[in-house]
Amino acid sequence: MIQLFNINKAYQKDSAALRDITLRVPKGEFVFITGPSGAGKSTLLKLLYCAEKPSRGQILINGQNVTRLSANKIPYLRRRLGVVFQDFKLLPRRTIFENVAFPLEVQGRKRYEVSKKVYQALQHVRLEHKLQRYPLELSGGEQQRVAIARALVIDPLILLADEPTGNLDQESTWGVMELFKDANARGTTVLMATHDRELIHSFPRRVVTLEEGRLTGDHQP
Amino acid sequence: METLRYLFRRVLRNMRQSPFLCAAAIGTVAVSLALLAFFALVVVNVQDLVQRWSQDIQIVIYLDTPPPTTTLENWQREISAFSEVAQVKYVAPEEAFRRFQQRLGDEGDLLGGMAQDILPASLEISLKSEARTNLVVDEVVARLRANPNFADLRYGREWLERFSAFVGLLKAGGFLLGGFLLFATLVIVSNTIKLTLYARRDELEIMALVGGTTLFIKAPFLIEGAIQGACGGFLALGGAYFLFEFFLRAGLSQVFLLPALTELRFLPFSFQVLLIMAGVLLGFTGSLFSLRKLVRI
Repeated sequence: MIQLFNINKAYQKDSAALRDITLRVPKGEFVFITGPSGAGKSTLLKLLYCAEKPSRGQILINGQNVTRLSANKIPYLRRRLGVVFQDFKLLPRRTIFENVAFPLEVQGRKRYEVSKKVYQALQHVRLEHKLQRYPLELSGGEQQRVAIARALVIDPLILLADEPTGNLDQESTWGVMELFKDANARGTTVLMATHDRELIHSFPRRVVTLEEGRLTGDHQP
Repeated sequence: METLRYLFRRVLRNMRQSPFLCAAAIGTVAVSLALLAFFALVVVNVQDLVQRWSQDIQIVIYLDTPPPTTTLENWQREISAFSEVAQVKYVAPEEAFRRFQQRLGDEGDLLGGMAQDILPASLEISLKSEARTNLVVDEVVARLRANPNFADLRYGREWLERFSAFVGLLKAGGFLLGGFLLFATLVIVSNTIKLTLYARRDELEIMALVGGTTLFIKAPFLIEGAIQGACGGFLALGGAYFLFEFFLRAGLSQVFLLPALTELRFLPFSFQVLLIMAGVLLGFTGSLFSLRKLVRI
């Protein structure tokens, strides 16, 4: 599903965020990307959803080379990806329903289809009773579940999560991880960046380790 | 179709969410275009006046004393014989006085105590339309001057030429002023819309992240800019009409001593449409400039 070949990324001349990364993630796998702060975890995910371009190397997603994808083609790639962030990135002036409906509306889906899918997605994260609430009326854990619902409502091929439990308490963290496990069980490839070792121990999966931009470990459980 | 409906829902939502900024953009466009419209009104009406005056009496011969009837008839016959002349009209002193009194309008009663034959008699000569060129007018004037009784001969050509030149200058000044005004408005509208966009940066970012194309993201803001510009244009038109009805008409009539207010006209329909379209273009372009920097996939 995801293949990275000799990926290098430098924001400035003398500092490389990623150095010579080669990685292969088969379809349906769940991978933790771990490492200390500044290791390059977020940068790696940004390259996958084309928020950044690599300085060198190639990236293939589902057989498509996305390394030098033109700006007008990037949106079509992103419609097959779900992305979850540490700070949730919900729209504060839209209701929960409108937030989750957003990706579907962007794709031009019909209204009845949007309503149905959004309700199902919110049911899945157990927040269907808070449809008309606004994000700030929800707890951190609930907001992240809404963000996950938004990511999953489009039935993505790949779910990318950048420190999704960073702002959550333990109970919420466990709730979020159950959702990711469930999505993975249904066939979604999941890549999750985290530095939470306890989380990795509690949910044994493949772990890729980055240190100072280099790939220093790749272990199956 | 669904996308279009969604697009317009977003436009209306955007405008409802930032009413102050929306009003600021509309107001800026309205003020700028109203100034331009006002200027255009003055130019259009002054041009009309120049046109009318040039079609009126071309040559006037002032007479020291009112001539006897036979002499007058001879003169009229002589001048009418010129192939270029369309009409010769004798204006008696009393008639001239009455006309002047009419022209003064409300202030006509200032002449109340004066003798009615205070103004000289005159012969008003109108030329045929094909003869209204500078060369022909000069030639006719030279022929008329051959008669010693026609020493005091006036024709408005020089004055009209100078006035036309002034109108030309006014127009040129209008274009220059208009150009600066439009540019300044564009900058202000662009910055105002930029403020609106900054307030919605999170929305723009998420739209891009979930797969919104550049056009999908930009379109509502471009339409919003165009609508704001159109509203500004309509406001400007209304404002210009108000200024015209309550200030310009009276003002210009007094300056040019026009007998009737109805001789002045508002902007022609084509100008009005142009004004609205200028508003739409201003709003749209202002939006475009702001979006360029803020929307990056």
